[in-house]
Amino acid sequence: MLVIVALGQELRRDDAAGLAIVREWQRTYPYSAADPEVHIEMAGLAGLNLLTFLELGDAAILVDCIQAKAPAGTLFMLDESELASFCAASGSAHGWGAADTLALGRSIGAQMPANLTILAIAAGDLSLGEGLSPDVQFALPTAAGQIEKQYKNYKLFSKFSR
Amino acid sequence: MKQNIEVPALARVEGEGAIYIRLKNGEIAQVEVNIYEPPRFFEGFLQNRYFQEVPDITARICGICPVAYQMSSVQALEQAMSVQISDEIRALRRMLYCAEYIESHALHVYMLQGPDMLGHESALTLAGEHPEVVKKALRLKKIGNALLKAIGGRSVHPVSSCVGGFYRWPDSKNIKALIADLEWAVQASLETVQFAAGLTYPEFEMDYEYVALTRPDEYAIYDGEILSSKTHQSIKSVDFEKSYLESHVKHSNALHSHTTAGATYFVGPLARLNLNYNQLRPVTKAAAESAGVTLPINNPFKGMIARGLELVEVCDLALELARSYNPTGPSKMPFKVKAGEGTGVSEAPRGLLYHRYVVNEQGMIQFAKITPPTAQNFAQMEADLWQFAPQVLDLKHEEATLACEHLIRTYDPCISCATHFLTLKVDRE
Repeated sequence: MLVIVALGQELRRDDAAGLAIVREWQRTYPYSAADPEVHIEMAGLAGLNLLTFLELGDAAILVDCIQAKAPAGTLFMLDESELASFCAASGSAHGWGAADTLALGRSIGAQMPANLTILAIAAGDLSLGEGLSPDVQFALPTAAGQIEKQYKNYKLFSKFSR
Repeated sequence: MKQNIEVPALARVEGEGAIYIRLKNGEIAQVEVNIYEPPRFFEGFLQNRYFQEVPDITARICGICPVAYQMSSVQALEQAMSVQISDEIRALRRMLYCAEYIESHALHVYMLQGPDMLGHESALTLAGEHPEVVKKALRLKKIGNALLKAIGGRSVHPVSSCVGGFYRWPDSKNIKALIADLEWAVQASLETVQFAAGLTYPEFEMDYEYVALTRPDEYAIYDGEILSSKTHQSIKSVDFEKSYLESHVKHSNALHSHTTAGATYFVGPLARLNLNYNQLRPVTKAAAESAGVTLPINNPFKGMIARGLELVEVCDLALELARSYNPTGPSKMPFKVKAGEGTGVSEAPRGLLYHRYVVNEQGMIQFAKITPPTAQNFAQMEADLWQFAPQVLDLKHEEATLACEHLIRTYDPCISCATHFLTLKVDRE
């Protein structure tokens, strides 16, 4: 099972980008999104509940917004080890951060996907309110394409590992 | 400790904020709990929204207590439109609230205050030394989350609640499937009480004015009248703003609350326990007696014991409600949209959460007021620090800073709703 988890606070503008990216992928690639081997979780402020979602899959993509020294809308494909450094500077209001949650899961031997990727998008505006900044909005199709690429890789890998 | 204390960003609280303590000639000269964000964003955000959007929007304010926001808002809007809900709907709302309490209290006891009490920097380091403790916490939290999903339709921000009841009854088999887990949760929560009661807490007591909901027939969480430990009088939610006032303070974006007499007051698990011990379920009282808990508890650090006891209460209540769940009536009461004003108050895990709305004939929100528990406790947190900081002045700076942070964490401040929180700074002159 490929688990796709969208994270973010919908009332803090670009912080909702993770959710918007996954919705864009569902809209653009409906057949992929309807694959029974895919589990989509619009997790919002998931905190520690992230562990509950991750135990469902052998691979996972977390989609989230980050604060980075990069133009708004810049996309990053990160692995788990790279997440912590990005989260350290995050002003996100997710409560329990994804990096801490993943580290906690690993430390207690929680069931977690062997293959975990983070699709992150650089925020432009994290103020209170609804709606994405133009640069982040513009990046949504490209970001959705990145999810599709990961999905196809997963299917290919699944096919050959059977 | 020779320097001022500054915690620019407190860890393990929901959101962001800061503590600032200034010392002058070795004595405390200034204490501030600072907040950075505009406090009334959400109230403005709700204006001119259709009333049925309110439960879903307010649920998104906080990842930890979405149910509390839904429950206070639906009660306020039902009062505004003269909606009477059935006993079945009320029972399901109580069960939904139990789910949130299980998640929130398990998180606080084991992952937020627990590391402080066990001398760990965080739940991560605690997990390294005591993985079984963290695993228990996560299992408890997972059960709360599963119950939330079974009733609320989603794991994180429930979407089933509406003004009038629920959009539909949750599937009975999904709730019954959790009975075995809830039976385990009752046992785990009993162990939690023993764990919390067995810890050695910092010596610190205050003469608090506790304020919490109360009911004669049950431990009040979902609804009730507002009771003060000082006046011994209970008032209805419509009179809340006549007795509890909010005011701006120069150093904070958040409003600070006080009584009409100008006193600080304390909401949350300690207030509930101290005021409503007699209404606890027999299993919870037995757990308190077995652990040697005596009331009143006036040490804020021991809020952890109160949370442990409330875990027993809500796990046992959720078990009873899950076993008896068999709705037959309508999930949503019929009503006509009309203009009106209403107030709603419920006990979020962190304390009393008050909502007031004015709705026009079309059901559009004209005015919204939300007074979250963390905002009500801010003034009390500062009052605590005035008393507590002198006790730790002789400690090394890092230890004093940690002690002050720990004190604030005992309040379990949720800054996502009260706005963002916490960081500590101490200056010496």
